[in-house]
Amino acid sequence: MIDWSFGGGIFIAKYNYWISILLMLIGFYAMIAKGNLLKKVIGLNIFQTAIILFFVSLGDATLGSWGKGVTEPIVKGTLPWAAGGIVEHGVVYANPLPHVLMLTAIVVGAATTAVALALIIRMYEEYGTIEEDEIIEKERELGV
Amino acid sequence: MNGKKGKIWEENVIIETITRLMVPFIQIYALYVMVGTEGAGGGFQGGVVFAASIVLFTVTFGISKGRKRLPESWNAALNSLGLYLYAGVGLLCIVLSLGAAQYLNYAALPLSQIMSPAHTRALMISDVVEVGIGLTVMSIFASIFFDLAWKGEEKKNKDKNKGDKEVQE
Amino acid sequence: MKPISAMALLFVVFLGALFIYVSEDIPDFGDPYSPANRYVNLHISIDAGADGLEDSLRAGVIPEELSSRIKARGFPSPSETEYSVEEVEGGWDVLIAKEELLYPEPEKYYFLKEEEEGNKLVVYRYSIPVRWEEKCEEEIGVPNMVTAGLADYRGYDTLGETTVIFTAGIAVILLLRRRGKL
Repeated sequence: MIDWSFGGGIFIAKYNYWISILLMLIGFYAMIAKGNLLKKVIGLNIFQTAIILFFVSLGDATLGSWGKGVTEPIVKGTLPWAAGGIVEHGVVYANPLPHVLMLTAIVVGAATTAVALALIIRMYEEYGTIEEDEIIEKERELGV
Repeated sequence: MNGKKGKIWEENVIIETITRLMVPFIQIYALYVMVGTEGAGGGFQGGVVFAASIVLFTVTFGISKGRKRLPESWNAALNSLGLYLYAGVGLLCIVLSLGAAQYLNYAALPLSQIMSPAHTRALMISDVVEVGIGLTVMSIFASIFFDLAWKGEEKKNKDKNKGDKEVQE
Repeated sequence: MKPISAMALLFVVFLGALFIYVSEDIPDFGDPYSPANRYVNLHISIDAGADGLEDSLRAGVIPEELSSRIKARGFPSPSETEYSVEEVEGGWDVLIAKEELLYPEPEKYYFLKEEEEGNKLVVYRYSIPVRWEEKCEEEIGVPNMVTAGLADYRGYDTLGETTVIFTAGIAVILLLRRRGKL
């Protein structure tokens, strides 16, 4: 009925990109349009998760191994100095480089969220509210 | 605190029993994940699972009991111990090879004359570096959780602090 | 509830249009020969119909024209260092010894492939994970490639990142410990 390969195979062959774009735009909208400070922090987290998912999905190699399956980047076989260490050949591995880089990104995201939450707690104790509009009004009343 | 009705949390027998059973097994699994050489895993992943067990215990039993299990002095000491291990091993590689090797080149230790250089590298990675990273990550996440969840106490006596302006929080 | 803000929606739609515009350069999902996984097309090619090209490649000599063109683009040229040519299925591997401080050894760097259209010989360049997957077992000995890469090939990144998580913990302590005694 519908020829799904229009546009040179952009829409079906790259569906990981479109899912990640959708999540990214949702997180970005939450970051700039909502007034509550806590919702902005959650939007930041959604944004980071979308980018990490996209980057890890770039290292997949499923199309090159029909019938065998692509494995995670762990060498099949035992350690070479143990007795009888045999390493299998001809196995297709996924790319280990995106996993390494994204481990660092996940931890940096967690650290950023922790400091942002601590700042929100301090702001609540100072101003008594978390809404962005009321904080701006109180700052204007103070005469800054 | 005066105007609130009811208790802050209630005691629940099922949750307390299950938590008391599960926390040691979660910690053993975290140690298995931390040595990430034979299967999936690594320092960060194992440290986070370990911190999850501490958070589970604190959520079930209250924050003062959780703080008694992990005192503040131990927490502050474990914060930096992992980082000392990692950076220290790197410096050890320069010192023990008398300046011939670079920073963090594990094959330059004198251990590589007994075993092969690849075996030395695997030993240092899995036993020293990953455990160090896991200790730091576990301690930092537990410390962040305790800081975010603690609420300030009220100081009831006005007579003691005469010179201070802010007495009650 | 607050009404939906129009400026934010406009910005988001504009960003979405930008993402759709750049979407044709993204590799397919699961492609094993994408630039991130295997090799990158350098678009340097010579005519494959010349006499004696295959014989000279089998003898292990790269023609001068190809080396000069590779050098003109800015990549390390094979004729200046020691190199060797091996034949694999689909093309030829070129191993060159890049300039390093201690003990340079020849490693897989270029891949010469025969294209049917136009009868050309195109030069590709291998990516880093190819060497990673082949040499991980004998150089480090840890079966898990991700942990081996984190702690040995990319050890400086992990050291900096442990410092980041440590600094975040210290920052939370500095912000929140004035409210009472823990």
